[in-house]
Amino acid sequence: MKRKVVAAGMAAMMAFSVMAGTGATIVKADDEVTLKVFSNLPDRKNGQGLVEQMIIDDYMEENPNVTIEVEALDEEAYKTKFKAYSMEGMPDVVSIWGQPAFLDEVLDAGVLAELNQDDYKDYGFISGSLDGFMKDGKLYGLPRNTDVAGFYYNQKMFEDNGWEVPTTYDELLTLAGEIKDKDIVPLAMDGGDGWPMAVYLSDILFKLTGSDYSDVVSNAISTGDFSDENLKKATELLKESADAGLFQNGYDSQDYGTAMNLFTNGQAAMFYMGSWEASMALNEDIPEEIRTNIRVFTMPVIDGGKGTATDIAAWNGGGYAVSADSEVKEEAVKFLNYMYQPDKLSKYGWENGVGMSAQDQSAYMTGDETELQMQFVDAVNNATSVSGTPINDCGPSAFKTSIESEIQSVSNGSISVDDFLAAIGEACK
Amino acid sequence: MELAGKKKKSKAGKIVLWVVLIAVAVIQIFPLVWLVDFSLASSTEMFTSGLLIIPQKIQWGNYVKAFVDGHFLLYLKNSILINGLAVVLVILVSIMTAFACRRMQWKLSGLVKTLLLMGMMIPIHATLLPNYKIYSQLGLTDTIWALLIPYVAFSLPQGLFLMTSFLESIPVELEEAAVMDGCGIYRIIFQIITPMLKSSIATVAIMTFLNNWNEFMMASTYLSSQKWKTLPFSVLEFTGQYSSNYAVQFAVMALTAAPAVIVYILLNKHITKGAAMGAVKG
Amino acid sequence: MKKLYSNKLVIFSLVLPGLLLFFFAILAPICLSVYYGFTEYSGMGTATFIGMENYKKLMTDKAFWMSMRNSLLLAIGFICIQHPLAMITAAILDKLGGRGEGFFRCVYFIPNVISVAVIAYLWKFIYNPDFGLLNNIIKAFGGKGDINWFSTDNAIWSVLIVLIWHGFGWGMLIYYTGIKNIDPVLYEAAAIDGADQKTTFLKITLPLMKPVIQVNVTMAVISALKQMETVYLLTNGGPGNSTQFAANYLYQQAFKAFKYGYGNAIGVVFIIICLITTVVLNKIFEERDDRPAKAKRRKGAA
Repeated sequence: MKRKVVAAGMAAMMAFSVMAGTGATIVKADDEVTLKVFSNLPDRKNGQGLVEQMIIDDYMEENPNVTIEVEALDEEAYKTKFKAYSMEGMPDVVSIWGQPAFLDEVLDAGVLAELNQDDYKDYGFISGSLDGFMKDGKLYGLPRNTDVAGFYYNQKMFEDNGWEVPTTYDELLTLAGEIKDKDIVPLAMDGGDGWPMAVYLSDILFKLTGSDYSDVVSNAISTGDFSDENLKKATELLKESADAGLFQNGYDSQDYGTAMNLFTNGQAAMFYMGSWEASMALNEDIPEEIRTNIRVFTMPVIDGGKGTATDIAAWNGGGYAVSADSEVKEEAVKFLNYMYQPDKLSKYGWENGVGMSAQDQSAYMTGDETELQMQFVDAVNNATSVSGTPINDCGPSAFKTSIESEIQSVSNGSISVDDFLAAIGEACK
Repeated sequence: MELAGKKKKSKAGKIVLWVVLIAVAVIQIFPLVWLVDFSLASSTEMFTSGLLIIPQKIQWGNYVKAFVDGHFLLYLKNSILINGLAVVLVILVSIMTAFACRRMQWKLSGLVKTLLLMGMMIPIHATLLPNYKIYSQLGLTDTIWALLIPYVAFSLPQGLFLMTSFLESIPVELEEAAVMDGCGIYRIIFQIITPMLKSSIATVAIMTFLNNWNEFMMASTYLSSQKWKTLPFSVLEFTGQYSSNYAVQFAVMALTAAPAVIVYILLNKHITKGAAMGAVKG
Repeated sequence: MKKLYSNKLVIFSLVLPGLLLFFFAILAPICLSVYYGFTEYSGMGTATFIGMENYKKLMTDKAFWMSMRNSLLLAIGFICIQHPLAMITAAILDKLGGRGEGFFRCVYFIPNVISVAVIAYLWKFIYNPDFGLLNNIIKAFGGKGDINWFSTDNAIWSVLIVLIWHGFGWGMLIYYTGIKNIDPVLYEAAAIDGADQKTTFLKITLPLMKPVIQVNVTMAVISALKQMETVYLLTNGGPGNSTQFAANYLYQQAFKAFKYGYGNAIGVVFIIICLITTVVLNKIFEERDDRPAKAKRRKGAA
């Protein structure tokens, strides 16, 4: 018996090694190019990930000598591995974020290739959208989206229960109480990752400070002093909201997928997330009666705050760049430019219900857009001002790590607001 | 009378025994039953307050998606290959080293053995950062070596420890006879000693397998392309890929767990024996 | 024979692969860690030497001490909860005999062969406060079932439960083997003396299992220190740093906060703590073992 088992095991192993051997001996022609793309979009069948994959497929079809290998991880894992890569050599084309917390150290180390700005004159980038990707007047990456933070809500659920979209923050908290009484989660929050709550905090802060937002944030970060009253008030409001049960039970440990699924399965009435999730409206994994009823509103105004209803939290965050030490840099830049041809990222993105690109999209309006998409477009078009980068992405990465972890503790009450502000200040020094 | 009472008591005792054992078994197994149950349902059925459900329609499609999009066969092949090689190397190196340290006569034998056994005390994850630097400098990241080297290195101390203690139980006289016949050291090791170490080889193989089969921290740090990714990756990749479809996530979890569980159930007597021997000695 | 067995070249060829592996995969990275531990280094560009700064900072780093506290809690949890349960189950199983014995032994060990990746994700679902299995069970028994298993206060215990559950079969198996190795004659003698099962367990099984218990306790403490993978996937140290562990923390510092130098300093301290703990535990148990042995010897001499 024993001998048989051993023999079978050996045979299996030999078979596998043969398989492995044949896999490794593919001979490549000289002009074959392999491009490695490292992406933060693991879902290749929906939304932004689908768009990216479509462009990659198009490119490989048009350039048969090019093979594109994609490695995709979700955002948290992506950022960790990106940093590991930036120490020792990158894949050729990578996703990046045009924000100091992500980009500063990376650019200092010179791991991203400089791009020729003149190439992009006719690409229709929205003015100011490239700023986050520049350093000393040189361009290192291109923005993919214009991101808007908002409250997705289930319109049918709202109508059935006679709930109204809140216009003030107090109304939002009152509404949360009513929703909770029906045994439904008011707002699904991805608190496990830390960054969505930091965006939420920035959103509140922007409503408090209005146009002073970026001054308040950059002052605090450069001095390490977060005692500004608006910062304090914003944090208190966040804690108050958590205490009032605005978020689901256990929000501070639940990840992106869990929060989103609460909403897309009708367990939660609202979901706080960026406009990149507008493609939910077309995602067939989501039950039809829910996905066709998803609508969005932006942060309501706060009593005594300077921000108005049309001052919205929006920024140009995610984008792409090319690795400086890529062995196939020419091909990589060619592919990058291909992605940004106006009829690729912008058009495909639009058609697949992914929020807004950072380029002029008006040419691709078909009239078939989902209502959700149009709501975002209107929000941006009617905006009197936009916030710019969320607070957690404005400082060095040590600050980002600190605020995204401490924000969980302050919202759930395990540290005080003052301790929170002191702790994140400490991380800036 | 007294005898009857005792019998009754022991019968009641037996029942208590069974109740306790079954309760523990349920605790150990129910989460897995739950996993399989919901992997056959559709995603929306997850949100029930019932413990188990009868799916409205059994969704075999979940498994098809898990199998195809989870690169199940590729990752399984990689897992088997890497772990198989690691096992073979650990056995080979540990027999050689054990023999040299235990039987051969040289001054530093004790020191070398202690040095190698020290590896058992080093937390493997403390080497993640420096090893990442070393492997990328040498161009070993994203190759099979990036996993094979640490897997073998960190299983070697245990293998060596077990091999030396088993080696002690083999009488030296056998070797003396072989030397008389004119055998060289290598032949003694591989033709005479190795066959006698059969059961300890099995133990070392099982321990090495159990140590490394489920490892993913190093795999996720050192690997980037699909080429060498191991089975636990299916799960990691899937939670991103199918973030809005829980049922498929459950299917991929069940599928990933399946090979090890099936092999274990089939060979459970040998494995528990081997593992127990390794654990008690180690 | 002697000549053959002291042939330097042969010896060298036999130990070389093992030594190479040790130097390359264990010693070299440790040396590198020690070096980077003295530097301020983001992982890119150049490293600047800053002496003991990293270590000074580490001494007052709350998150690091939290991770040590968590390791301690985990070790206590293993020793006070998992092991007694495992031992009692093993003792009961030993009494069962027949086919049932093999069946249960097999069942108990199954979670052990499943990947941590699967276990961690599975338990994430089990703990989900809104639709998870655990709260549903509480509801089924009439409770409210809205416990947040990963709140700052609960999280470490929830992690502990997963680890206890996952490692239960292993602990059970070792105790089970230990019990099986006890000479049945002793039990027969006890039965003749009229000892009941409880007394037999306390007076015979437990004392004879001492070496096994010692091995298990050592392993429990070490694995509590080394814990990383489950936590990395289950909570990643959160909420806040309430479930932080040393290995996870050094990983976060190096690859998320861009403090590669600091991460390595944590690694060095971590290795030292593991070495000291192992040595101390071995010393403690050695002395305990020696004492009765010595006493016996003295008696024999007298």
